[in-house]
Amino acid sequence: MNVSECLAAIDRLNPKLNAFLRVNTAANGKPIAIKDNIVTTEMPTTCASRILSGFTSPYDATAITRLRKSGYAIVGKTNLDEFAMGSSTEHSAFGPTRNPWDTTRVAGGSSGGSAAAVAARMVPAALGSETGGSVRQPAALCGVVGLKPTYGRISRWGLVAFASSLDQIGIVTKTARECAELLGIIAGHDPLDSTSSAEPVDDYTADVERGAKGLRFGVVREAVEKLEGDVRVNFDDALRVLRKGGAIVEDASVPAIVYAIAIYYIVANAEASANLARFDGVRYGRRSDHSRTVRDMYFASRGEGFGPEVKRRIMLGTFALSSGYYEAYYGRAQAVRAKLRSDFATAFERFDFLLTPTTPEPAFKIGAKTGDPLSMYLSDIFTAPANLVGIPAIAVPSGFSPEGLPLSLQIMAPHFRERALFRAAAAFERETEYWKREPRNVEC
Amino acid sequence: MKITRDEARRIAELAHLAFDDESLDRMAAEMTEILGYIDQLRDAAGGGGAPEDPTPLRADVVRPGVDRDAVERNAPAWRDGHFLVPKVIE
Repeated sequence: MNVSECLAAIDRLNPKLNAFLRVNTAANGKPIAIKDNIVTTEMPTTCASRILSGFTSPYDATAITRLRKSGYAIVGKTNLDEFAMGSSTEHSAFGPTRNPWDTTRVAGGSSGGSAAAVAARMVPAALGSETGGSVRQPAALCGVVGLKPTYGRISRWGLVAFASSLDQIGIVTKTARECAELLGIIAGHDPLDSTSSAEPVDDYTADVERGAKGLRFGVVREAVEKLEGDVRVNFDDALRVLRKGGAIVEDASVPAIVYAIAIYYIVANAEASANLARFDGVRYGRRSDHSRTVRDMYFASRGEGFGPEVKRRIMLGTFALSSGYYEAYYGRAQAVRAKLRSDFATAFERFDFLLTPTTPEPAFKIGAKTGDPLSMYLSDIFTAPANLVGIPAIAVPSGFSPEGLPLSLQIMAPHFRERALFRAAAAFERETEYWKREPRNVEC
Repeated sequence: MKITRDEARRIAELAHLAFDDESLDRMAAEMTEILGYIDQLRDAAGGGGAPEDPTPLRADVVRPGVDRDAVERNAPAWRDGHFLVPKVIE
């Protein structure tokens, strides 16, 4: 696809899907879409929040600089849950993104705009961001490939911070090979991000044709034992596909994985409450007109500018770090996170990869979970562990539910084993070819 | 862990967030429910494994800052190279 084909597709489909918040008709190069919490100089960055209204970054994110050097052009900025906090893109100040396979359903989130844009063939590829599954979960719900690389693999400079020990830029494409090519371009150490890794950038496409023969996959028992319905049937089918390709598929155990969501909502929110303190109406973005003193201005600007989900998370994070509760909540969460890390390390002594479905269910109806924050949080039950541990993980289309909604297989690998991850994902793709199917409903 | 309206108000003060009473009550109820789920961590085994590597520090060298004109363009209120804010001392 070239830029003009992308722009024509966006013109036709975006009114139905609301995947793009802004489009750059002057784009010139290889087309890519960017989640609107990654800063770019030619277009405003909103984080889908009212609090950033009027803000255009004076600098590009490092990932953007690297894309530009390789001839990429940003065709637009995509919709997200406000500050990447959500699993459905319904928490956007600009309205939800709709799922291209069924426009009455969510696209997932928080990178719902990026996933829907690639699924509906509005762009060949998009960047998203991950904190607890925000690339893999929407990729799964939209039937495309979504990668969360190892923590530190891609510079976070210019990615608006949500939870700094978990955040990582991710990639959405139709196939594993395209994803591997893009990772090779944007990965690498960056002096502007001390947490970016000095580990050499691998040749990520080198093994994509090698197949799965002899690779060892562990099925995470504690995660899958309660699976039922269409997701169970689909997951068992995926295991059969891998075995048929010559892979070894056996039971694995990661006992602390059952605590992932509880750990995540303490650690992520604690870090968010600190990171989002910078939005105070002083230097950029929205400032409330209803304040007499600077202190009033902080409260009013933040009260008016942030949406309910962002406030909920800042409140939970502030609570978890507050005097008297810090040890019981934040300290406890970090201790169990260390146990989770150690459980994964033990499991990877026996296996090259660990498997779960990407999501516990296919795309849900718009509005189905907005009144129940906890049930929304549980959408990330299979994806959040990789963020907490820092390992790479990929979501690969694994088929469709009887009502025609995409389902997805998640493959996790040890730190910096992205090359192997792409090999496994590409092998699965070749056996199944689900990526060739396109959504039709959106054209109705 | 039950969060009362007073506790929610105390946290909102720490977080610099303005709420009306109705929103504060709703927030307290939602936080109570979410913390109820999180309380399962109390009984979970913790620790183990190797400690994480510390984040390496970069060299302390001067490099160009952000362009001042671009900063001014984003400022809600600006005069003579400074951000303007309402009065600080009440």
